Amino acid sequence: MAQKKLSIRIDGQLISAEEGQTILQAAKANGKYIPTLCALDGLTPVGACRVCLVEVSGVDRLFPACTTPIQDGMSVTTNSPRLTRYRRISVELLLIERNHVCAVCVSNGHCELQSMATAFGINTVEFAYNYPKLSLDTSHPRFVLDHNRCILCTRCVRVCAELEGAHVWDLTSRGIHARIVSEMNEKWGQATSCTSCGKCVQACPTGALAEKGWAVEEMVKNLGTVTTLVHRRGVEV
Amino acid sequence: MSTLLQVPLPTEEKTYIDKVVAERLGRPGALLGILEAAQERNRHKYLPLEMLRYIAIKTETPLSRIYSVATFYSLFNLQAQGENTICICRGTACHTRGSRNLLQGARLDLGLGLEDGEADGNEADKLLLTTPDQKFTVRTVACFGQCAMAPVVEVNHRICGHATERTVQREIATIRAGE
Repeated sequence: MAQKKLSIRIDGQLISAEEGQTILQAAKANGKYIPTLCALDGLTPVGACRVCLVEVSGVDRLFPACTTPIQDGMSVTTNSPRLTRYRRISVELLLIERNHVCAVCVSNGHCELQSMATAFGINTVEFAYNYPKLSLDTSHPRFVLDHNRCILCTRCVRVCAELEGAHVWDLTSRGIHARIVSEMNEKWGQATSCTSCGKCVQACPTGALAEKGWAVEEMVKNLGTVTTLVHRRGVEV
Repeated sequence: MSTLLQVPLPTEEKTYIDKVVAERLGRPGALLGILEAAQERNRHKYLPLEMLRYIAIKTETPLSRIYSVATFYSLFNLQAQGENTICICRGTACHTRGSRNLLQGARLDLGLGLEDGEADGNEADKLLLTTPDQKFTVRTVACFGQCAMAPVVEVNHRICGHATERTVQREIATIRAGE
């Protein structure tokens, strides 16, 4: 499989990457950091969180690094005051949309959204909180789904469909009404296609999906289990 | 999957779905066409959950995916629709020309009350109300693209421009008289 090599610049550094790679993949392969929330190694990128936005010289608009394929001679900037501002706004919008109350969250201290907010120095948000009244699904014997913490990154949807092959999860409705649903709006515990493998729980960046029996701060996720599986099965993306 | 295959649906419905699925499967966007055909055929113009389940099995689509598609597009209804549909535009142009009064007028005329939706500040939300006798459905839409004729009301897929509360009342009366 002789892939065509392309030359691109990331933050001024000349990088040789393979055709078909995304900006994020090329950056990662060369040790460049681009913040991400919805991207997960080995899963189809969807560009849901908009945290990985990058600048491409010659184009005014910003591109999500996870879904944009590289082109020969492309020059990418991964960090600038403008990008920091946009990324910060993206994270703030995620924070105001649901009830992300870290102090009482199982994932407090082990949450990717929280780390991202900390990294951007977000201690206040400039928009009004939504405070939606959302439900909790505790019907599954081992796991729990809390819509209040969900950021709709769809990692659980993709990990279940692409890796486990069960496709228990999907998104319902759209816009502000979008929710994660199992099967046809059934309770998770009643979803017959669920194998209780727990990949969705491990893939969830926040405390939206968690194991039962853990109190505040106790749910430590092991993303490695999911990514290791991807590589072992040789999933090509 | 054996339990899933026993979907309680009349045989003629199943045969029809089988035919539509056989015609369309494999084409891009086939699922949308299949769902639309199934809804068109339904007497109450909606997709019952059993129907979605049957289509899921026939098209080998995960249940969650079918549900996701059916709830994403406002074209698909998961609840039974009335025989006549009154669709009121709540887009910006229609709003400034008084479409809220039209909506409230229609709700009052049909005895649907004004309790939910508007009062909770969920005004921008999609509204869908059906009278208990299944004769009328009142729904809102974001924009018909007929802003020059604002406020616009669509009665059984016929557009009425520059509508007033009187127009809506007349339309309802005409439908009632015609039965």
